[in-house]
Amino acid sequence: MKYAIIAKTEMPRWFDSLKRHGKIFGPKKKEHQYVFRPINEFEEMSLVYIPTILPPKKYYFPQREALLKFSIDPYRTDKAIKEFEEFILFAVHTCDIAGIQCMDVVFNDAPADPNYLNRKEKMTIIGLECMSYCDTYASCTAVGNHVPRGGYDIMLTDLGDAYAMHVNSEKGEKLAAGKSYIREMSEADRGRLKRAQDEKLKKFHNEFNGDIKSVEKAFDDGFFSSVWQDVGRRCVGCTNCTAVCPTCYCFDIADEMEMNLNDGVRARTWSYCQMDDFAKVATGEDFRPGRDGRQRHRYYRKFKYPVAKYNKYFCTGCGRCTRTCMAKISLIETVNGLLDERKGA
Amino acid sequence: MSKPKVAFFEFTDCEGCQLQVANLGADLLELTKAVDIVNFREIMSEEGQEYDVLVVEGSIASKHDEERLKAVAAKAKVIVALGACAATGGVNNLKNLKSIEEQKKIVYGDVDPVKDAIPAKPIDAVVKVDYYVHGCPIHGPEFVKVMQCVLMGKPYQVPAYPVCVECKQNENICMYDKGQFCLGPVTRAGCNSWLPNNGVPCVGCRGLIDNPAANAQKDILEKYGLTVEGILDKFTLYCNTQKERAKYDKEFKS
Repeated sequence: MKYAIIAKTEMPRWFDSLKRHGKIFGPKKKEHQYVFRPINEFEEMSLVYIPTILPPKKYYFPQREALLKFSIDPYRTDKAIKEFEEFILFAVHTCDIAGIQCMDVVFNDAPADPNYLNRKEKMTIIGLECMSYCDTYASCTAVGNHVPRGGYDIMLTDLGDAYAMHVNSEKGEKLAAGKSYIREMSEADRGRLKRAQDEKLKKFHNEFNGDIKSVEKAFDDGFFSSVWQDVGRRCVGCTNCTAVCPTCYCFDIADEMEMNLNDGVRARTWSYCQMDDFAKVATGEDFRPGRDGRQRHRYYRKFKYPVAKYNKYFCTGCGRCTRTCMAKISLIETVNGLLDERKGA
Repeated sequence: MSKPKVAFFEFTDCEGCQLQVANLGADLLELTKAVDIVNFREIMSEEGQEYDVLVVEGSIASKHDEERLKAVAAKAKVIVALGACAATGGVNNLKNLKSIEEQKKIVYGDVDPVKDAIPAKPIDAVVKVDYYVHGCPIHGPEFVKVMQCVLMGKPYQVPAYPVCVECKQNENICMYDKGQFCLGPVTRAGCNSWLPNNGVPCVGCRGLIDNPAANAQKDILEKYGLTVEGILDKFTLYCNTQKERAKYDKEFKS
């Protein structure tokens, strides 16, 4: 069963059947924003949502994570932690799935990261296709993430009274198969799905003033652009843009002791290039002392360096960095600033 | 090897930070397995005068404070500043906004019970401090971390990043998003964004980060309909010393 149909009225029933498989995390309303939270009942979720404050990254690359346990006397140190339980991420937007794909590339790169991979192995992703823009901050079309491009076990597409299901893995197959209320897609259903997706595409447009190739060139030429001075002057250094990014993977590692000063854990915590002392080294030398240079670095880590290293853009177009910025530094405006400068030159 | 002896002494303050230590519960019991607490009037009546680690709470606000601190510090191998009053001067710095004579008149009227009063200052203006636990009050878990560092003889790094780092990781709704003024972006972290977690904007009790983006902050205030005077007013409570102001002026004046 590659493509299937489920009526919306049957969704709670299907959701209940998923609980047997593992803990479920989905989007939930928090004041006027949204967050991924553990979900017990289908109705708790908001399936129409703008990207959550933090991406679902927190479930496969947590803010703080114990990597291994150790003790000093008698000396003992463990291998990477393996005991993770099965879990499901429900209603993940295509931009966030793109984020997971980026993290996969990074943490599979030698030396592979066993903690990430062990956790990832237990993760099931049920995606939800966006049928219209979440808000004006997203730039998903520019990077091609406005449509599903793999990386999920099941993708749900809204057809009005039903969801089309694209079953994309063996894991997904297990969750969808053998249910009387989930049926194989008919020719007529396929027509409906195509019409819905065609209609949707009319609403999405490239958010940048140039195609992705020209963006790449603009970054090639734009290292000394005045755009960075402007962004740096406005940046308050709160680090929120890096905190909310689905592809920021920098971390710090420190040994944390228990009060007995004998047992401890080696813990990994998120670390950000936007922190004041991120590039400071032992002699006091700071390789990126200004907020302009730090912001530029963030952009180059999305639009240039990973393209050279992994042939992949690390901006998923989710718009979180713009949405969260209290200084209203806009990713779309910054990239367009580089593009326009190039056109003008 | 005998356990290191720890003594708590308070100066000009409310003793709220010692209360946070007393409230640590199980962590405090764990701590007592590693150290002997010989002097801590919040939790015990015994008063030992021999100690290795001196934990000082409160600012220095009189000649008497100063002499007493020097005397108790002379016996200690390690000195820990506990809470905003000891670490930066805290709310006691407010009195420095007026002359000693003026304050006395406002507070005491015609009598003068504190003849040797001096402008309030943090304890590192009198003795060398090895460890700082910031905050008003301190955040209990950070105190535990600092004590571990003391016991291991390691330095404790106060986070150089702002409260926003912790706040965003806790997935709080940004105070600015709610139109509220918050000192999170310019205040050093370490409290796990205690106030915003409870729906209250940060008041900057831990002091400013070393490199606050003053100009950018000014832009933001204007965007949210707030004024520069507004931010300076907010700084009055905890960040009004010359040292703290200088961090901000660095960029404001350039």
